[in-house]
Amino acid sequence: MRRRLALGWWLVVGGWWLVFGGQAPEPRRPHFTDIAPKSNFAYRTDNNFTGRKYFPQTMCGGVAAFDFDNDGRMDLFFTNGAKLPEMQKTDPRFYNCLLRNRGDGTFEDVTAHAGLLGKDLGFSFGVAAGDYDNDGFEDLFICNAGRNALYHNNGNGTFTDVTERSGIGGKPKDVISVAAAWFDYDNDGKLDLIVSNYTVWTPQTDKICAANGREYYCHPKVYTNVAHRLYHNLGNGRFEDVTDSSGFGKELGKGMGIAIADFNGDGYTDVFVANDTVRNFLFINQKNGTFKESGYEWGVAYDESGNAGSSMGADAKDYDNDGWPDLFYNNLKGQIWGLYRNMGGKYMNYVSGVSHLSRLSVRSSGWSNGFVDYNNDGWKDLYSANGEIDNMGEISRQSDTMFENVDGKEFRDVSGLLGADFTHAGFQRGSAFVDLNNDGFEDLVVTSLDEKPRILLNSADNGNHWLLVNTVGRRSNRDGIGAALKLTTASGRTLYNHVTTSDGFMSSSDKRVHFGLGGEEGIASLEIRWPSGIVQTLKKVRADQILTVREPPR
Amino acid sequence: MKIASLIVAVLAAALWAQDPEAAIQAYRQYLEAHPDSVEARSNLGAALARAGRYEEAIAEYDRALAESPGNPALLLNLGLAYYKTSRPSEAAARFERAISLAPQFKDQVTLLLASCYNGLGRYNEAIALLAPLEKEKSADEAFDYLYGTALIGDGQNSSGAAVIDRILGRGDSAEARLLRGTLKLGTHDYDGALVDIEKSIALNDKLPGAHARLGELLLAKGESEGARAAFAQELALDPDEFASNLNMGVLAKQDQEYTEARRYFERALKARPNDAGVRYQIANVDLATGNPDAARRTLEALIGESPDFAEAHATLATVYYRLDRRADGDRERGIAQKLMDRQDAAQAGDKPR
Repeated sequence: MRRRLALGWWLVVGGWWLVFGGQAPEPRRPHFTDIAPKSNFAYRTDNNFTGRKYFPQTMCGGVAAFDFDNDGRMDLFFTNGAKLPEMQKTDPRFYNCLLRNRGDGTFEDVTAHAGLLGKDLGFSFGVAAGDYDNDGFEDLFICNAGRNALYHNNGNGTFTDVTERSGIGGKPKDVISVAAAWFDYDNDGKLDLIVSNYTVWTPQTDKICAANGREYYCHPKVYTNVAHRLYHNLGNGRFEDVTDSSGFGKELGKGMGIAIADFNGDGYTDVFVANDTVRNFLFINQKNGTFKESGYEWGVAYDESGNAGSSMGADAKDYDNDGWPDLFYNNLKGQIWGLYRNMGGKYMNYVSGVSHLSRLSVRSSGWSNGFVDYNNDGWKDLYSANGEIDNMGEISRQSDTMFENVDGKEFRDVSGLLGADFTHAGFQRGSAFVDLNNDGFEDLVVTSLDEKPRILLNSADNGNHWLLVNTVGRRSNRDGIGAALKLTTASGRTLYNHVTTSDGFMSSSDKRVHFGLGGEEGIASLEIRWPSGIVQTLKKVRADQILTVREPPR
Repeated sequence: MKIASLIVAVLAAALWAQDPEAAIQAYRQYLEAHPDSVEARSNLGAALARAGRYEEAIAEYDRALAESPGNPALLLNLGLAYYKTSRPSEAAARFERAISLAPQFKDQVTLLLASCYNGLGRYNEAIALLAPLEKEKSADEAFDYLYGTALIGDGQNSSGAAVIDRILGRGDSAEARLLRGTLKLGTHDYDGALVDIEKSIALNDKLPGAHARLGELLLAKGESEGARAAFAQELALDPDEFASNLNMGVLAKQDQEYTEARRYFERALKARPNDAGVRYQIANVDLATGNPDAARRTLEALIGESPDFAEAHATLATVYYRLDRRADGDRERGIAQKLMDRQDAAQAGDKPR
């Protein structure tokens, strides 16, 4: 009798589903909570806006997430502005900031001890973390108006400014550098550096633009285009500027975000540079120390109407799990953010429309951005830190957006479901993806002009599984940057990612490679193709762990 | 022949004013017996036009013109029928020809022809027609509206503003508000433009172009959903309105709804048959839908007509690369880059982003 009753109840429930169309229930989503207020640090992103609108003030607040003290917990570094027109960090409010992760949800300001205040730097923009000398400690490169800076991590909690002796500081006079990415373009086991430059500018040459007696930030077209710069790592802490011999010097742009990936699958890392109001560049590695700018061939130079938008942040990852890195860049309100699907390593197809990104993005002005699987369902979602260029209208302050990936085909806006701290409105600029508490869910760190950064902890409560892979190269660069990873779950689902710290704009993310596994706990295999060419396969890997993988000798 | 003319005249007098449908029947019957009668066919066209049956009218005028080429009255009527069906390109061609054959018609068609030029974006030609008449017609509201539209379209904002002031001096009007809104839209004063354009629509929600301008304004503000609604309203009033079809096509293309986009672009081409911008968009649709060869043909034609069309060169470069014509791609890329560099150098950039 009990069985029959139970069966009857089941049928009723089944009927209820049918009546309401049989829609699947909404997945449980994690949300984000800002834990920055729990820590005592003074850093605010300070662009020194005092009424006069200097051109670089719109770009301030780079972020790096990296483990500077090798304690297994990701720390945070922020860049900051300078007093204008002096262009000096005349006051502690302009200092850069290093926060040590205490592991209890709080951070300690260790900037002064680390020697990273940057008192002698000008207006700082982007930052790139990478172990350029393969000593096991992550170093920092900081992009500036004024001289750029390379800080060597001494391994004892301090850094030394090695810019001059490294040879990496050279750049044409008054060029402002805004972003950088570490990668090994010649697979010689040493990290090289690409620097995205914007224009030639000093406070003295700053142009004033105004209408109806009101000043606004000038359109980029009033400033000249410049070449991005490539520095080849010679070893022994020395770098050579190979901008001209590599082919980078031929192309002049207004660089913003950099995305690195092996777009054509030839084992050599290529470089995408988003340019503001200038066509985007895709430098395809020719495997002989030179690059060919191939944005036209690949269909990513312009949008689908042949227009150069205000491309800002950039990231290259495989959003549809087909084994090829795709491309995502954002831009300003009224323009359409670019999502391009890699067609088998030959060219890119513009998919902003069919993926719904065009409609989702049109009201937002994006800065830093990236692919991030925030809910560990195995599909990389689209994040963007948003805010208008200028405070000229009532909707200038904007909220960040998270567009959730639906089966690798389209995206939907879930920003409003991720908590009040996520939807904080501001002039957001830099952002980094990082697992701060090593729970396998990606957290977010976001800067906003004239505010403290938000350190957004992922609630990690939807039950999905994950794997974090920490690659350690031997013949390859020690960070393993450029290594391509293919994960196959027990059910046969394949997921792809690669090692990079560069994504978005002005920012540097957790170098550990993140995989969301959805409901699957079993990993049949993990294949790593190292930059050296060595292919390593691990079988039956346990999920929900941080796995350190060392490159085999051969 | 005289008798035939007399019969036509009697038919016209008896039936024209009271009952155009009956006149149409009568002319058709008459034409069965006298198919070569230009006068009857012309009158049939006029009766059809009067009944709002413009396409049939156009067919009859064309047949009449085949019998009597260079008949300026026929050309005027045909131009008017095209004008009524929102085909300013065809209308302008007939008006121009009529004036060249019979200059005495110029006064009659000046405003119509200027309106056609405005519709075609040939603002400088409209100004050339209207400027000499400014003193004479400064009290004519229709003249002012056309002249103001031409001046603002041509970027002569201060002269345009003076015309707007003249219209507003006679009292508030939908036309003046639309002109002022358009002027503000062009100078990126979006808030001001919104006030004026909304007021224009409040005063006359059927004013041609008002919803289209609102759509363009909302697009500039990043409000694409509102823009879509505004363009749709304009197209409900005039399915062939150029700007709305073009923008709806662009929005559909952004959504990668290529079939829909093509339909809008083709409608826009109806209003401006050779518009380079629309043809460029169609080439992009061809490229995106896997037809690079069709895109190539259109783009090659475009750059043949407009060698400085930088975007067309840029897209053609990509098309050639897709077609494995690397040398051609490299050449077009080089041209595109030079043109864009030149554009950048010429652009003052002195506007907010």
